[in-house]
Order: sequence, then C-alpha cells, then structure tokens
Amino acid sequence: MDTLRLYRKSMAMLLKSQMQYPASFLMQTLAQLVMESGELMAVILLVDRFDHLNQWTAGNLYFFFGLMSMTFYLTECFARGITGAFSGMVRSGQLDTLLLRPRGVLTQVLCSAVDPRRITCIAVGAFSFGLGSRLSGVAWTAGKALIILESVFCGFWLIMGLFMIEAILCIHSVKSIELANALTYGGRSACEYPIDTFPRPLRLLFTVIAPFALVMHVPAAWVLGKPLFGWPGWTAAVTPTAGIILFGIMYLLFQRAMRFYRSTGS
Amino acid sequence: MAFIEVENLNKQFIIRKKREKGQLMRPKEEISALREVSFQVNQGELVGYIGPNGAGKSTTVKILSGILTPDSGRASVDGLVPWADRKAHVRRIGVVFGQRSQLWWDVPIADSFALLKEIYHVPEAAYQARMGELTEALQLGDLMRTPLRLLSLGQRMRAELCGSLLHSPSLLFLDEPTIGLDAVSKLTLREFLQWENRQRGTTILLTTHDMEDITALCSRVMVLGHGRKLYDGELTELLARYDTERIITARYEEEISGTAWPEGCQVRRNGENWIITYAPEKIPTAEMMARMQQAGHLRECTVQPQNVDRLIARMYQEMEL
Repeated sequence: MDTLRLYRKSMAMLLKSQMQYPASFLMQTLAQLVMESGELMAVILLVDRFDHLNQWTAGNLYFFFGLMSMTFYLTECFARGITGAFSGMVRSGQLDTLLLRPRGVLTQVLCSAVDPRRITCIAVGAFSFGLGSRLSGVAWTAGKALIILESVFCGFWLIMGLFMIEAILCIHSVKSIELANALTYGGRSACEYPIDTFPRPLRLLFTVIAPFALVMHVPAAWVLGKPLFGWPGWTAAVTPTAGIILFGIMYLLFQRAMRFYRSTGS
Repeated sequence: MAFIEVENLNKQFIIRKKREKGQLMRPKEEISALREVSFQVNQGELVGYIGPNGAGKSTTVKILSGILTPDSGRASVDGLVPWADRKAHVRRIGVVFGQRSQLWWDVPIADSFALLKEIYHVPEAAYQARMGELTEALQLGDLMRTPLRLLSLGQRMRAELCGSLLHSPSLLFLDEPTIGLDAVSKLTLREFLQWENRQRGTTILLTTHDMEDITALCSRVMVLGHGRKLYDGELTELLARYDTERIITARYEEEISGTAWPEGCQVRRNGENWIITYAPEKIPTAEMMARMQQAGHLRECTVQPQNVDRLIARMYQEMEL
C-alpha cells in the first residue's frame, strides 16, 4: 500500500515536470499517434487484401491488435523506468543515488519515470479493440470483461518482465540489447496477430519463452468464441498468469544482478 | 565501540581494456581502489578525507554508504554493516555528491523535499520542524517554489544539503561538496556544516580537494593514496612536516643588481617585486634580512608561509602518489 502511495506521488510529480514543456509534449504525443496509426493501417491493408487469416476475420484481427496495443503501451507509459530509462540511469550513476534511499531499487526505478505521450498509442489500441469487438459481434458479459482485464493486467507484468532482461544485461554491462529487443518489440509486432498463424518455432518462442500467446491470445480467442487449439474455457482464466510468473523470475534475476552491481561498482 | 569502525577494507576493480589486434579477449587489469584501510570515527567528529584523484576516497564513501560491497574487510556504522543492512543503514545517513544531483530537475525543490519525506517515512510534525530549521539555516525560503534547473550552483548545493538532511541522519557523507562554488557560497556552506555538526552532533565525513574546507572545518584529516591510508591525525601536524619554506616578497627604492643571494634560495623577479623562497632552517631569517638590506634601500617586504596547496602537492610527491 505504502509503495503504491509513493508511486502515485512520484507519478504526480513527474507529470508536473513533463508539463513544464507543453509544446514538446504535444508534438511528441502527436508523433506517437501517427506512428501507432501506421501500425494499425498495416493490419487494415492486410485485411483489405485477404479479408481473413486462417479462421480469423477482419474484426478478430482488430481485436487482437487492439489488445496488444493497449497492453504494450500501458506498460511503456507506466513502467517507463524499466522499459526505457534504465540504461541511462546506470550510465549516469542515478542508480547509485537510488541505493542511498531506504526503498527497494525496482520500486524506485519505476517511480522515476513515466511516459504520458503513449496515451495516443493506447487510444489507437482501444479504438481498434472496440472496433474489433463490434465487427466480431462479441456479446459482452461480466466474465468476458474480467478475462480481458486479467489479460491486460498480466500482460503489463509480462512486458515489464521482458524489458527487465535488458535491464539485467545492462547491470552486467553487457551491451546486447538486440537480443532483448527481439522479445519485447519483436514480441509486440508479431503477437499483434494470433499465435496459430505462425510456424512452430515462433509459436514455441511466444508460448514458452515470452508467453504472449498464453497471456493475450488464449483469453482473447475465448472471448471471440473461437478457443485456441480447442482448449476448454477455464484455461482462458489460468494461462494469463504466465505473465506474472515470468515477471517473478525476472524479479529474482534482477535482485541477483543488483547484488552483482554492488560488488563490482559503477 | 566507535561510531564508524573500518577494518582492513579491500576493494579491487577489474577494468577491461580495449581489445588490440590479434587478441581474442579484451585484456583485464585489476586496480586496487582500497588496500587494508582501517580507521575509526567517533560520534560528532568532523573528519576530512583527502588524496589525489583516484586515491580511493569515493570508493570508501560508496562502501560506507552501502552502494558497494568490499572484497574483504569489516565495516560497521552505528552497529550496522552498510552493505548487508542497506535499507536500515541508509535511513540513518545522508549523502551529498558534489557532482551528482539527488533532487528532481524540473520541479520546484519543495516538491522534491515532499517526495523525500514520503520515501524516508518522515512524520509530518518532525518534517515541519526540520524543514523550518533547515530552510532558515540554508536560506532556502525564497527558493522553495523554484525548479532545481533554474538554481545557481551554490543554491543547488544548499538545496541538495537540505534534501539529504531532512530525515535527520546521524551521519553525513559529503563527496567534494564545494566543487565549483564561489567564495561566498563556500563560506555559507562551511558555516552551515559547522552549525549542523554542533547543533545536532551529526558526524560528518567529507572528501575534498579544497584545503580550506579542511582547515576551516576538520580537526582531523585522513590522507589516502593508491588505496592506502597514509596519514590520520591533525592537519596542522601533517602540514608542519612539509611547511619548511618561507617566501619573501621585496621591493626596492632603486634598481639593484649583482646581489649575491645566499646559497640555496630561489630568486625570481615579477616586475618590481623580488620573490625569494628559502628554508629558515638552512638560512636563518636574520641572515636573509641582513643580505637584503645590503642589497639596496628596501621599500617594503612581506614574509609568507608556503601556500597550503603547494604543501599538499609536495606531500603527494614525497609519498609518490
């Protein structure tokens, strides 16, 4: 509770400091809108050409795209400390100052950055999700809404966990960010489309290693009334927790890396 | 048991050099930042920590503040091991890095302080009392609504001090606090540190290259070089060892020439001034004066001790740092 309170206060302060530069904020927010609309356009063009992908209709594809977009950019917005600012904090020595305060390091990292420009990306995602749900004729029930909320929530931790790979490598001063990016940004771009459209190696990658399929596709497919791989309905509620598990593993590795950091110096 | 206990502290850093042609791996080089450093500091002491760049001063501060873990050796601050009990330990210390800010750049400093209050769980009443005290002593009252980025360096350093002291730590580390400050800001800062030390009995450990910081503040000084502790004691005593020269600046009524200055003194001219450096142990001042009077009509003359920075430079030279 106390941690959440600190997070809330930090966010309020960071937003205030970002609003010190309103023109820059506005322009960057618009740039984000253009960028994410372009992504959506790619899906629209695909649908226009082929009108469906395997069993998935145009509406279904918008639905998947929207779910991924909302989740990914919510994470980039609220976990900016991990998704973008971390390597800079290591290089500038800001990580040292975090160690001087009686709070957890990860908590403080998350409390030190926010990226409200992503709001437009989240909006594009929400639009696509709404459109997809309408076109697919989803009959919303409380259960379905809860499953989607769970998926977004677990997706948040999943994506943050994947970005933590980069943070951990960064602490060990290894500069192989490409590898981490393949899972984060690569995962986003790929898993905007449902998992069963991919060949087996990619399916394994995004189910076992970076479980986007378990966290997003299984529940989304169930809500659309086309359960993935014919799995029973209860799996839609269970598989998203894979995101939390992945985050847990990354959290432990992160703590280990911080011990390494403190014994080798900056 | 003393407030700070440090025993045989060792720390090595491994530096990877650039890979040269024909080498498969980048060559490693081990650098000893600290070798068998031991000392004790009592509560309420104001200790200066000096040494050339790269001597291990900052490493010591980082170990004692819990940012780094040493390779071997023991240390405790008020009964806690800094790197093992990090959270409990940092609650009771304050750290100011002269070249690194701990406050938030774009928001009024009052907002930064309010967030620090949250981070350190300072109760409201204690916070109000402490803030009142600190804003007055550091003259921050008019600056509270100003964002950090708009403050001058001197103002920023005062704000940093306030931020690092508002949870009332019993130990304060200062890593080059006066770096880049103007004369007035330096004086204000020193006065404040003395005030904080006397008023609350806060133990202060400061690293610096400014010898006036040491002479003005510290009764005790530790010298560090190549990771070893070379001296621990009073500054005056340390300087006495190297303070063997006097400098005379003299001016004559007329142009003088062909003077036979005593053997072993250095003479140079700066416009009308003659600047003579000599060692009173070898050439007594009386003899020096007699020679100078023989040379011509002396208009004025001053005798000065050697500049403290030169003494320190000599000390570093003799210690081969």
